[in-house]
Amino acid sequence: MRVSLYVSADTWLHRLDPMTKLLMAATGVTLTFILTRTESAAVLLAIFLAALGTGRVLRQAASVFAGVGIVAATFLIVQGLVHPTNATPLIALGPVVLYTEGLLIGLRLALRLYNILSATLILVLATNPADLTEALVRRGAPARLGYVIMSVLQIIPTMVAQSAAITDAQRSRGMETEGSLWTRAKAFLPLMGPLVTSSLIATEERALALEVRGFGSTVRPTFLRAETRPPHAVPVRILCVLTLALGATGRWVLGW
Amino acid sequence: MSAVIEARSVHFHYTPGVPVLTGVTLSLGPGATAIIGQNGAGKSTFVRLLNGLLKPVSGSILVNGADTRSLTVASLARTVGLVFQNPSDQLFKSRVIDEVTFGPLNLGFSREEAEERAREALAQVGLHGVETRNPYDLGLAERKLVTIASVLAMGTSALIFDEPTIAQDYAGVRRLGKIVDELTAAGRTVIVISHDMDFVARHCHRVVVFSRGRVLADGDAASVFSRPDILQQAALEAPQIARLAHALSMDQTPLTPEQFVDLVRRRLSGSS
Amino acid sequence: MAVVEVENLRYRYPRQTTLALDGVSFTAEPGEFVGIVGPNLSGKSTLCHALIGLVPHFYKGAIGGRVVVAGLDVHQTPVAEMSRRVGLVFQNPFTQITGAKLTVYEEVAFGLEYTGAPREEMAPRIEEALRLLGLWELRDRSPFALSGGQMQRLAIASVLAMRPQVLVLDEPTSQLDPAGTREVFDAAATLCRQGITVIMAEHKIELLAEHADRLLVLHQGRLVADGTPRDILTRAASRELPGEPAPAPPVTQAAASLDWRMPGGGFPVTLAEAVAVGRPIVERHSGVDSR
Repeated sequence: MRVSLYVSADTWLHRLDPMTKLLMAATGVTLTFILTRTESAAVLLAIFLAALGTGRVLRQAASVFAGVGIVAATFLIVQGLVHPTNATPLIALGPVVLYTEGLLIGLRLALRLYNILSATLILVLATNPADLTEALVRRGAPARLGYVIMSVLQIIPTMVAQSAAITDAQRSRGMETEGSLWTRAKAFLPLMGPLVTSSLIATEERALALEVRGFGSTVRPTFLRAETRPPHAVPVRILCVLTLALGATGRWVLGW
Repeated sequence: MSAVIEARSVHFHYTPGVPVLTGVTLSLGPGATAIIGQNGAGKSTFVRLLNGLLKPVSGSILVNGADTRSLTVASLARTVGLVFQNPSDQLFKSRVIDEVTFGPLNLGFSREEAEERAREALAQVGLHGVETRNPYDLGLAERKLVTIASVLAMGTSALIFDEPTIAQDYAGVRRLGKIVDELTAAGRTVIVISHDMDFVARHCHRVVVFSRGRVLADGDAASVFSRPDILQQAALEAPQIARLAHALSMDQTPLTPEQFVDLVRRRLSGSS
Repeated sequence: MAVVEVENLRYRYPRQTTLALDGVSFTAEPGEFVGIVGPNLSGKSTLCHALIGLVPHFYKGAIGGRVVVAGLDVHQTPVAEMSRRVGLVFQNPFTQITGAKLTVYEEVAFGLEYTGAPREEMAPRIEEALRLLGLWELRDRSPFALSGGQMQRLAIASVLAMRPQVLVLDEPTSQLDPAGTREVFDAAATLCRQGITVIMAEHKIELLAEHADRLLVLHQGRLVADGTPRDILTRAASRELPGEPAPAPPVTQAAASLDWRMPGGGFPVTLAEAVAVGRPIVERHSGVDSR
């Protein structure tokens, strides 16, 4: 099991340095908030999907999209049913009527949700979290913060594995976990304590291990790898800034 | 109170195409049986099949005649107790006494009975005055003893210990040996997975050698430890004292230094 | 010249009334393999932690005496600074993985990065450490995908890359199988040959007897014996040490009962020695048999 969604590959997107991808994601999210019309949201989504597609992470993105599909569907249904501007019935199922106006508003909200998500995924799916934290630490973020982010990503899967092991041990000592949902729910609660305790103890042991590896050192850390920036990072960064400027101009000067 | 566990041509895998057990047939009855073998030989998987945590892919496991497929793990726990190798896979209460009474309470004992059993079990493993401590405040060796006590307290007719001597000092190993001996004397079915060959030689009358998911050898301790060829195949070594006897071309395989001394003395007096 | 000097070390954990270490003194030379034996709670781990300064800097508590390792006074030196001279490896291989690195190679780099080692020095030091511990081929694996023995060797490689003069191992094999245990002992022996001082707390007396140059025996926080394995184990087999802190290996116990002595005195402590001593005795009698 893994927590990080990152999948390694060799594409223009993966080769970009983490800071450029961070800029791309930030640009994407900002544009989503600046350009609020449905048409602009659709155009943005098309751009993001193109980036994800050429970065060969569309498949991973699709599973995330499916995961939040229920939220998007809720937007559509709730707005379609009850939005105050609703006037034109579009679909009627017995007493339930969905209106065009509300559905359009729901669609816009759903699009913006997917836009924020896609922009973030450009960073998350194609960036090794280790590289990102390292890039941030290089720029002055506290080393301890970087460590916490990285280790949480790695340690969660081991906690999941351990919870399965403890459940096995509880069953081996006569605890009924098979059967009704209620039986299983009852079995789940006592599990939380040991997970926390044993991860605390592991944390202390690990803290010692880190200490003897020089983690408490007051010197600025050095880095195994030199920071590299591929040639296409500069044009991508310029493009980001230009797009941002274009978006702002469009919104406040041209009234998009 | 005796238990017989039978494995009939048991095959098992976690992932299809990666077999873990390939046709294990064994009958385990009263007395102490050691299961030895390299890491990855399938020992820990095998004992998880014996208490029903895992079900065979093909073949069957019968506990006192009943197929484990037809029983829940919780109901099998009345007959088969299992101590896991790693204490942190097992400990989950914040007080030692709650940890040790957990099993007996599940089996339907009253709180008083359960606490009585827990105190006895803790004394048996040599832990005193730890009832209200948090198991995680104890060292690894003591945590292991808590997990052993928490299964002893259930009083099952079969007990499985996965690496009981881990992190134990000399006194701890000796106390665990005594527990195995007492359980054996009481007619319980005891199964010990161990890398500690001296412990196995001293306390287990029967030794089963696992290698690559099958049983490579099965017999009394002296006969198994007199076969360096088989042990080597399983990447194992006989106890040091048995290797000494073998290197000195002695005709019997001693399991303890005392037995070795007897053999040598008999030989010396026989020839003088 | 001694690389480890411990002088009348006394230590008490916070909120405890008894001393965890009580007047411990010993020295160790470069390239020496020193085993620490004794029952659980006799102070083995505490002593290991004191050699790098976790005691008292991390655990606090009250300390007296002097510990000088690689020329640094441990009580005056931060652990991070000590970590460049002394490597410490713990019992549990799993919790020593930092959890912040994705490959074995990067894991070894961790300590170098945090102690600010220059980048150009890293690659050769990492490669040297990984090759010495036989992990070079596994360098691109995830640390979590290793076996117990491999993880423990990775922990050793990780501290080794920091080029310590002293390597301290606190019951490093208690969670390993015989193969993994051998790997760790063999690695420790290799490092000794390179001039690194190895100090190892351990219960596996057969292996210590085979590899250690010296054994220290702890009992209730006191150092009750310090000598060669032959000296210590001969005394243990003759029940001359307090509280059975160090049971002798089975061959030594048997030799003691039979009074099989080495030519230079004392009982055999390894299988090979016992065979060498026992063979003429046993064969002399089988010779009588066949006549």
